[in-house]
Amino acid sequence: MKNNYMKNLKRKKKIQHIAANILLFIIVIFTIFPIVWMFISSLMTQNNLAAGKITDITHWENYIEMWNNIDFFKYFKNSLIVCSITTIIALIIATFAGYSIARFKFPGSGLFGTAVLSTQMIPGIMFLLPLYMMFIKIQRSLGISIVNTYHGIIITYSAFFIPFSIWILRGFFASIPKELEEAAQIDGCSPFGAFMRIILPLSSTGIIATGIYIFLMAWDELLFAWVLATTPDVATIPVGIRLYVGNYQNRYDLLMAAGVVSTIPILIIFFTLQKKFISGITAGAVKG
Amino acid sequence: MKVEISREKVVSKKNKKTSRLIFEIRKNRFAYALVLPAFIAMLIIHFIPMVQGIYMSFLKLNQFTLNQFLKAPFVGLQNYYTVLFDKSSTLRSGFMDALRNTIIYALSVNILVLVIGMISALLVNRKFKFRGLARTLLLTPWVVPSYVVGMLWGFMWQQDTGIINRILVDWLHILPDKPFWLSGPNTLWAIIIPTVWRSTPFIMIMLLAGLQNIPEDYYEAAEIDGASSVQKFRHITLPLLRPIIAVNLLHGMITHIYSFNIVAMMFGHGAGFPGKWGDLLMTNINRNSFGIWQMGTGAAATIVVMIIVLSIVGIWYRVFREDLVVEE
Repeated sequence: MKNNYMKNLKRKKKIQHIAANILLFIIVIFTIFPIVWMFISSLMTQNNLAAGKITDITHWENYIEMWNNIDFFKYFKNSLIVCSITTIIALIIATFAGYSIARFKFPGSGLFGTAVLSTQMIPGIMFLLPLYMMFIKIQRSLGISIVNTYHGIIITYSAFFIPFSIWILRGFFASIPKELEEAAQIDGCSPFGAFMRIILPLSSTGIIATGIYIFLMAWDELLFAWVLATTPDVATIPVGIRLYVGNYQNRYDLLMAAGVVSTIPILIIFFTLQKKFISGITAGAVKG
Repeated sequence: MKVEISREKVVSKKNKKTSRLIFEIRKNRFAYALVLPAFIAMLIIHFIPMVQGIYMSFLKLNQFTLNQFLKAPFVGLQNYYTVLFDKSSTLRSGFMDALRNTIIYALSVNILVLVIGMISALLVNRKFKFRGLARTLLLTPWVVPSYVVGMLWGFMWQQDTGIINRILVDWLHILPDKPFWLSGPNTLWAIIIPTVWRSTPFIMIMLLAGLQNIPEDYYEAAEIDGASSVQKFRHITLPLLRPIIAVNLLHGMITHIYSFNIVAMMFGHGAGFPGKWGDLLMTNINRNSFGIWQMGTGAAATIVVMIIVLSIVGIWYRVFREDLVVEE
């Protein structure tokens, strides 16, 4: 009797397990299908794409044509330069500030924390409208160009990504016991020395995760780039794609090739640093 | 006499307070030095433009007055009137369409992302062969830049040659004829589905991390008491994940109300108009501000959106206040 019950329970569990696997399989298919399709269509000819014949998936020359005709290398290079420098600047500044508000209680520290958080509730376009006008004014009156330059977009991006980086990093620093620095200072370290030698190495996972996050956000940024980087010399990838669609409206094969190439850097960063990144991001989230 | 003493006391108290403040500031020189670069950056890129933006919303700032910037004619609340109430204005009808679309879009995306993210997290939290592979594959949409997402799905939704209509109509015969996805009310689906596709992995990761933090014993104890899977989920999993759900719900609401990239790139790869049923607030404001240089009404519209978001944050805080306290 009891045996029978156990048997039934086991069978039920097995059926549940299989059903769950099937459901998971369906979700996985839906998840990867668009990416697979992007890759496949980037290797098809324009005519086969229009006719819906998925037979001849070998046209690697699409990538060469895209690279040469859309001048993709330029935009790719611009994106890499802008995003890397932005990541470095924003990360350094945010690390200092994040450590400061995690560790010290000083007049204005609470207010600064609130200001950091509240910037996250304001849409980017709120800053973009006056910033654009301000940049144009500076250009006209002082002769310093900011719009359509590397430094203009890098300064804007860096400052724009600082607040949320501060917030993520603050969590990491707060989780490190205070006694460590105190011990270091008793041993004769300056506050800055203790920060550099003790705290930074201990929080490297969090800092790297935040850095990746900044890079991903910058790589993904479109709104500011559309306004502040519109000439081919500084345009990032999405702006470049937009600049050239007029000429290549129906060349989906080329556009999909461009899509694949824009995804690759993120893919590489993500899968080489996946463990660090995910543990870093989720640690911050679970702690709040 | 008495009065004088008390006044002296007040003064000395005040002096004490200021000297204490100066002392505190001196003592924390290091902390201030660390915050200073971030403060300057935020001052220039966030706070000053923010104040200017609020002021701009009261100015008649269009293609004719653009050169005057902050010296443009002051018109009080007229921009707000144009955006919200002026029935004859095309700006208003466009804004209202975008507002309606954004509300539907943000709500559906958030609900779908949470439900699918939760199901996926539960599914990959079990022990089975290929678990690592399944988790990695489920994460892949997250690596695709959102402008590529817009471009890719815009291509997939094509009426005649798009792969989605080919699968639905030509191969599986689910629908009798090929619908237009990128015009008419269907557009809402065409923008919601890609956003859900792109946003689910992040939520799944967060929920999965939360699931892994729940001690096994809770479930074992419940099993001894004869709880079913559904009961275990309702009474153990869900309450313990509430803080994570709360934070991600707020983050999701803000992100999706301010969503821009996917929709902007989906229609003509950034050159087209999303239409009455596909336009979102950010694409609408961006087009009106930088396309036809209606900066004053653009600033006013932005502030209206901001007020809506701030009230959502307020409601959220009231609903989830207790979860946040527990979390601390």
